[in-house]
Amino acid sequence: MDNAPEYVIEMLHITKEFPGIKANDDITLQLRRGEIHALLGENGAGKSTLMSVLFGLYQPEAGVIKKDGKEVRINNPNDATALHIGMVHQHFKLIEVFTVLDNIILGAEDAKLGFLQKKQARKKVQELSDRYGLKVDVDAKVEDITVGMQQRVEILKMLYRDNEILIFDEPTAVLTPQEIEELMQIMKNLAAEGKSILFISHKLNEIMEVSDRVSVLRKGRYIGTVNTSETSKEELSRMMVGRDVQLVVDKTPAVPGEPVLEVEDLSVPSQLHKNDAVKHVSLTARAGEIVCIAGIDGNGQTEFVYALTGLEKPSGGTIRLCGKDITHESIRQRSLDGMSHIPEDRHKHGLVLDYTLEQNMVLQRYYEPRFQDHGFIKFDAVREYAEGLIEKYDVRSGQGPVTVARSMSGGNQQKAIIAREIDRDLPLIVAVQPTRGLDVGAIEFVHKQLVAQRDAGKAVLLISLELDEVMNLSDRILVMYEGEIVGEFDPKKVTVEELGLYMAGANRQKKEAAE
Amino acid sequence: MKANNSSFWKKNSTRSVIASLLSIAIGLLAGSVVILIMGLTNPALGLGSALEGIRLVLFGIFSTGRNAAGALTFGFNPASIGNMLFRAMPLILTGLSVATANKTGMFNIGAAGQYLAGTCATLFIALSIPSTSVPPWIIWLLAFLGGMLAGALWGAIPGLLQALLNINVVIACIMTNWIAANIVTWLFDISNLKNMVENTKSGYIYKTTFNNVATPKFGLDKLFPGSQISGGILIAIVLAIAVHIIMTKTTFGYELKACGANRHAARYAGIRDKRNIVLSMAIAGALAGAGGSLYYLAGNTEFFWNTYQSLPAAGFNGIAVALLAVNNPIGVIFTGCFMSMLNIAGLQITNLTAYNEYITDVIIAVIVYLSAFSLIIKMWLGGREKKSAAPAPAAAQSPPVPENKAPGAADNGKEADA
Repeated sequence: MDNAPEYVIEMLHITKEFPGIKANDDITLQLRRGEIHALLGENGAGKSTLMSVLFGLYQPEAGVIKKDGKEVRINNPNDATALHIGMVHQHFKLIEVFTVLDNIILGAEDAKLGFLQKKQARKKVQELSDRYGLKVDVDAKVEDITVGMQQRVEILKMLYRDNEILIFDEPTAVLTPQEIEELMQIMKNLAAEGKSILFISHKLNEIMEVSDRVSVLRKGRYIGTVNTSETSKEELSRMMVGRDVQLVVDKTPAVPGEPVLEVEDLSVPSQLHKNDAVKHVSLTARAGEIVCIAGIDGNGQTEFVYALTGLEKPSGGTIRLCGKDITHESIRQRSLDGMSHIPEDRHKHGLVLDYTLEQNMVLQRYYEPRFQDHGFIKFDAVREYAEGLIEKYDVRSGQGPVTVARSMSGGNQQKAIIAREIDRDLPLIVAVQPTRGLDVGAIEFVHKQLVAQRDAGKAVLLISLELDEVMNLSDRILVMYEGEIVGEFDPKKVTVEELGLYMAGANRQKKEAAE
Repeated sequence: MKANNSSFWKKNSTRSVIASLLSIAIGLLAGSVVILIMGLTNPALGLGSALEGIRLVLFGIFSTGRNAAGALTFGFNPASIGNMLFRAMPLILTGLSVATANKTGMFNIGAAGQYLAGTCATLFIALSIPSTSVPPWIIWLLAFLGGMLAGALWGAIPGLLQALLNINVVIACIMTNWIAANIVTWLFDISNLKNMVENTKSGYIYKTTFNNVATPKFGLDKLFPGSQISGGILIAIVLAIAVHIIMTKTTFGYELKACGANRHAARYAGIRDKRNIVLSMAIAGALAGAGGSLYYLAGNTEFFWNTYQSLPAAGFNGIAVALLAVNNPIGVIFTGCFMSMLNIAGLQITNLTAYNEYITDVIIAVIVYLSAFSLIIKMWLGGREKKSAAPAPAAAQSPPVPENKAPGAADNGKEADA
């Protein structure tokens, strides 16, 4: 391309092989000074491997890394730090009980005779914070501040170490729409001040908004680099997936039928504090509609689902499934009564990771006469059933039905769960963040499946933190804030911004209106 | 769950076996080194004596004593082998107990207490029902079942505490061990089962043969003349196979293992996790109880009732047996026999050389120590493979494009570990 010094970091023809697989196959990535460069790719496309190479965690089989046009060797993360490369991880690496200041200086603390020199550190953090518009309370403990502020602390950590190349790994996954907006602004400020930013994401909206250029990886290979101003979301997703992707699910208007799930005045105690996490929630989900509970993480959605599915006991209210009161039923009984559950946490609840795929496929129905005879498992029936699901839902794994679930990719683990839950063909599907951590191709798949279930007359209760998904998929939106339903909306008549205000607690509909 | 995966399963299990064998080899080596050092530093022993000791450690089970010239002789020794099998029986059962609990994610360190509970119930039943009015085989059956039941109840207590009150099962097990030791001591103390007939046996309980109750020998005594062997070993093997079948072939085993591997997911699937925790501890207790029960029902063993200061070693050696067998019920049969073989070798050393049997305790200690590391050894054996396996199975994500069968990349390693 252009002459070398223009690039602050160049990764040229990087190839990283693991036995049996090329995780990175001749990938070239060139980062200009002061630009925001997005790295786009599906799960498993090789983004993380490439970043691990840049960070010195892996040594590539072929290829060179250049900093400011000079070839460098990065053998370990310390080398990367010395080259002023810093990273904000998707899951923050902060010590909750330390103050913001202590977290920022941790590992780079100045000391005289063994005593911390916090005064200078505080000054420097203050300066950085003012210069880049990163508002933080330096004396607050990390556990007391918002997720958005925690992220700013992570960014300050990088700046405090005078890093010039900043890597953001999926930074928006945990933020509210307003916080994402702020982060975008911060990233632009940083770039304007001459920092170079690598922005790893698979969210096309954000990439379109903030980046200058986009490099796309697919299955370990470099597909190309385009200027953001000259491309479109459709083109990017085509590059990423290798085919046309429907970003918006085609669906006909819902034809709601009989109520399947009726929740009345449900309250659920909190594990964290004395108050209820869910307060007097009432809602109805009818056959043939997708009802979505939107809200920022931690506003009682998890507890609501636990109470609904029987994982936790509610402190008040009733739950009726197909007309039957199931408030005090066991988990198994609810399942027999017609509730399937795609859980929020696929590793905690969704799968027994040490079981094989086929064992996981029958996790919800191993006890059915079809799969057991006098307590003895019918292995042939299990195998046949699992193979059928794997085929039908395109679940990919190394060894088919006998693959240990732990060794599968996150996307395929999720597909296995969705296959298992949908295939039970029950009147109610409770889907909690069904596309968390999935890429566009997989999201498209999940959305299509859920819409198909709706069209087949199932009631789908979707709990999601992703506003795109909420707007895209639902027939009715309920917003949950601090354990209460604060509004009900028609997705066609509401904007993302408006929902954001309800989610953040700035607005609320009158109680009557919410019913 | 069969056919295709056999190659994978084989690989994994081969690694387990190699790891266990390696632990044993290193243990024996360490024992030999200790013998050598002791021999060379002690003028009374010397090199010759040390070499004899080492030979006995390795082949003690085949020792037939010394010949006229004073040299060690080796050969088939039916008494030693019979004794080995006899002593293996309680170890197999306590090993099974620990292994079963482990599959459900419970560390059953309470096998000793359950073993005592089983012993106590068995002896009371076997000695209290007069064989003059009830056929001995019925008494035997009642005593054996009573022993298992007592063990099950004793095992269920820590299970209940864990399931209902979230009290750590290890702590509860340790406590119930000592409670059992004291209760059993007290019960025997106030009982009339203390041996008053043979005055050399003060502190002992009558043998069950005093009431004509004993496990049938099924002809094993003909096979291994001069040994203590009883039919108990066959019952232990049958139980091991039964546990294996339950764990691998039944929905019950599926549930138990699911609870052990991921209690949350088990709950999510409607499996009653608390019930399964209690059940698995009860089964573990029943197995340990059966160990104590069969050991004393053999008829040629007698129980020293003054136990409050110590717990039966079989309970704790069960942990080693299970560890070495990597919790495989069939493997437990072999590791149980191996442990008791060392025991016999120890006796031979004591009988035939100036060393004492504690040398085999050193070996057992090293082996236990290493078997705890056997997972690490296993990983090390499959080291390179494992490392590369982490990113490899990340089969290409979702897009249902036909041409790409190629697996994805390392991104997912992170995902899967989380």
